[in-house]
This record gives sequence, structure tokens and C-alpha cells, in this order.
Amino acid sequence: MAKIAIDPVTRIEGHLRIEAQVEGGRVVDAWSASTMFRGIERILLGRDPREAWAFTQRI
Amino acid sequence: MRGVENALGITIPDNARIIRNLIAGIQYVQDHVIHFYHLHALDWVDIVSALQADPAGTAKLAQSISDWPNSSVSYFKGVHAKLKGFVDAGQLGPFSNAYWGHPAYKLPPEANLMAVAHYLEALEWQREVIKIHAILGAKNPHAQTYLVGGMSIPVDPNSQNALNAGSIATMSALAKQAHDFVAKVYIPDLLAVASFYKEWAGYGGGVGNFLSYGEFPNDNISNTDNLWLPRGIILNKDLSTVHPVDQAKVSEYVTHSWYEYPGGDGKSKHPWDGVTDHKYTGPNPPYEWLNTDGKYSWLKAPRYDDQAMEVGPLARMLVAYASGHERVQAVVNLVLQKLGVGPAALFSTLGRVAARGVETLLTAEMLPVWLGDLAANMKRGDLKIHDGEMWEPSNWPKTAQGYGWHEAPRGALGHWIKIENRKIANYQCVVPGTWNGSPRDGNGQRGPYEQALLDTPVADPEQPVEILRTVHSFDPCMACAVHVVDSKRRKITRVRVL
Repeated sequence: MAKIAIDPVTRIEGHLRIEAQVEGGRVVDAWSASTMFRGIERILLGRDPREAWAFTQRI
Repeated sequence: MRGVENALGITIPDNARIIRNLIAGIQYVQDHVIHFYHLHALDWVDIVSALQADPAGTAKLAQSISDWPNSSVSYFKGVHAKLKGFVDAGQLGPFSNAYWGHPAYKLPPEANLMAVAHYLEALEWQREVIKIHAILGAKNPHAQTYLVGGMSIPVDPNSQNALNAGSIATMSALAKQAHDFVAKVYIPDLLAVASFYKEWAGYGGGVGNFLSYGEFPNDNISNTDNLWLPRGIILNKDLSTVHPVDQAKVSEYVTHSWYEYPGGDGKSKHPWDGVTDHKYTGPNPPYEWLNTDGKYSWLKAPRYDDQAMEVGPLARMLVAYASGHERVQAVVNLVLQKLGVGPAALFSTLGRVAARGVETLLTAEMLPVWLGDLAANMKRGDLKIHDGEMWEPSNWPKTAQGYGWHEAPRGALGHWIKIENRKIANYQCVVPGTWNGSPRDGNGQRGPYEQALLDTPVADPEQPVEILRTVHSFDPCMACAVHVVDSKRRKITRVRVL
């Protein structure tokens, strides 16, 4: 039995970590974790709704 | 945009609708091709093996699957020499850090060399075709011409400083270039590569529930039955029924996410009432393992009617297929027939890769249609691009709320907004990467990546290329790019085995 962590997963956009439990050459359980906080929602509070798109399109 | 326009009851002019379709459409085409060649291909294509290829054999293979002109023996000799130069100089560049020589790589050297050639060609191609986005959006990425109520780019056949007949002609040529490469390189490559990996139609199925908000309105967006790609939900891989989408059934859990909800983390919240209060309780880096029994991700866990949903090209193609979309059915059936597999094969890692290819081809077919619609409006004298009636906040109600949906290249994207005293009182984005990359929810249900990885074979835990195949098939976008971090920094993938 082996537990694997791939961190970071590359050739993607953003930051992703995968943990997987492998038994008998097969994945028997897996966990997907994003390792970075986004926070766009907090940035937008109190702002003019007409400019929201300029922030959110950068997600 | 759509969330704010929905909250304020704004209908955008037809020209703005068409331009938004074109911007999104060329983005689909460019993103999907980049994903296939530059983000995903190296999970299937062994670059080092390509060095063993006989360029004459590659030319024969390429000519047998497509009439794409770059397929001569001398052309592939040149690519081979270029690749050998990278390797001999010890400068693999983008080809470094992969599991070359892994037994899970199945392509013959000649096919690997063909894929390398097209990897390089696709880099040049994508830089050209995305000019459509730059013409309509003033730049790429992050178009600057959006405006609540429409677009800010003028349309006027008699002005040099507006979208005119000249820009339509330029974009038409680029749209043709986009379609040619997809039809003559991407799709034949996809079919050729897939034919060596048919066992992957049996892995990576995932949660089996699929959500598409629908996209590319054919007229006013409030007419939700008239989207080019339809809206709907497929449950439990059952293509006989397409369920309607009710925004009230979307909610997010933080039970296993580094946030806290007032009132407790066991129950989910609808996005209008969503809260983004971060509270990191994970280990301090560097760490070996996350506490996956507790909170372990910055992603919330979005659920529809308390169920995990896969989003993206496969979801869109399945919803369209099951809704009776004729062109989608025709091309999906053709791909299935060429690979010699049935519709059940769609629910897999390979199905996800194939659906993305089908969608790229169909979207490339629509670009000239939308350009034609725009040209026809201009010819008729319809130059309206923006509705300014609700621009002034003094015209807004004291409170308003709305939601806007979009199908991004990677899947269903929804924004929910509450406006109070003309300012944003709450805003929640529920994005594709969050749907697909979701951690477990309050009921312990896995997210789509997590579920799709179950039963994936792993020949060598030190080199888990098979795990990357399934994760990459979703085209992960972890939606964290606030762009203040150095996201382009080169990183070495770290694999730990216990």
C-alpha cells in the first residue's frame, strides 16, 4: 500500500495538490486540495457593481 | 457582467451579444487546443521515444490521417533534428519533468514524433488565431471592452476607429485558420492517439452527474431555451433524461475547506448568502500530508441539490447530445464510431478528452456564423452596442440581487450578486475549478476529481502518470490566479511515497 502526494500538479492553471491511496496497483481513495486562497469575493465587497467584471475575469 | 445585468434588469443589444459569443468562442478554440497539446498531450506522448522515430514513417502516418500540408518526410526530419538539438543540449525546456519511458506510454515512436511536431505548430497557431480576441477585446487575455449594458467597442462600417468591414474580413481569415487546424490536425491527432489508449474509456468515470448552464445565446439571453449549447443536468450517467437547472439548488459546503460559516460548517449555503471567511487550520509547510479527515482545501465544495457535479466540455456535450442537438450528436457519434466504442465510453478519462475535441470543432464552425450575423447587422444599419438606460446608479433600486451564468472553456461558471445602496453587498463566484476540484462535502461525498481517480491503475507509485491523465483530463483551473503571485515560476513536481 502506498500513499502518494503530487504537489504541485503542473501543466494546469493554479495550484493543485492530489493525495491518493494506492493498493494493489489501483487508486482506492483520493483527495483534491487547492493550496492557495482566492479571496476575490472579499475584494469586491463595497465596490461599484459596474466594475466587478474587471476583477472577476482575472480569476 | 451577466450577474449585474440580471440584478438590474438590463438587456444588452444584439451586437454586444454576438461580440461576446465571438470572444468566448475563440477562447474555447484556443484554450482547448492549448490544453490538448501543451497541458495534456505529454501524459500520452513520450517525447524521448520520438527520437527513435523514422521521419519517413511519421510522414506516412500523418498523410494517412489528414491532408494537412506540413507532412513531408523533410518536414518531420526537421522536427526530429530540432528535438534532438533540445535533448543533446540538455535543454528539454517544456519537455522536462515528465515520466519519459514509463510503461504506460503506448504510442509508437512515429506517432510520438507527429505529436511533437503538432505541439510546436500549435504554439505558433494559437498566437495567430487569438487575435480575434484581441480585436474584439482590445487585448488577450482579459478583454477590456466589456461594459455593463453591452460592450464598449464601437461598430461602424464607415469608421476606421471601429469594428468595420475590414475587421470582419481579418477575423474571418483568422476563423478559417482556426477551423483548418482543428479539423485537419487536432481532430485527426486526437483520434490517432485515442486509438492507442482505448482502455482509458474504462477509467476516470467520476461522479456521473453533469451540469451545463448552456452558452452562446442565439438571441436575448433571458430566452434560456435558445442557447446554441443547451442548459441542463444529467444524473447518474442517464442520457435518457435532461433535467432543468434551478439556481436555488446550488449551494457550497465548507465542511472540509479552510473557511468557517457563521452558524456552523456542517450545512451548505446558497451563494446569495455565501460567506468567504477564511480560516486556515492545515499544517504549516513544508508538510508531508494534509489532514484529509478534517479541512484540507481552499476550495469550497459546490453541490447541486446536494450532489457533486462534473462541469466542462464533457458535461456540455452530454447535455447537448441528450437534448437532441443534431450537430453534437452527429460529431459525437462519428468519433465513437471511429474509435469503435459505444456512448458509455463517454463517461471516462478518454471521453472527457474526446468531448473537448468535438466541442472545439463545433465552436470553430460557429465563428464564421457569428461573424456573418455581426456583418449583417452592420449592413442593416444596426450599430447599437450598449444600452445605457441603467448605467447611472441613480436609476437603480435601493436593493437588487441577481445571478449570471456563463460556460467558460472549463465549465459552468456562476456569479451571484447582492446590491445594496448601489454597492456590492455580497458577491460569490462558483467556478468550474471549484465544481470539479471540490473536496468532500458535509455528507462526505467526494468531488469529481476525487471520484474519477478511484480504480485508476498506477503501475509505479513513484511515477504516477496515470493519476495525471485523469486529473489533467478535466483541464484543472484552480481559480486562484489573483495574479499577485508569481504563478509562472518553474516548479518541480514533488512526489512522495509512503
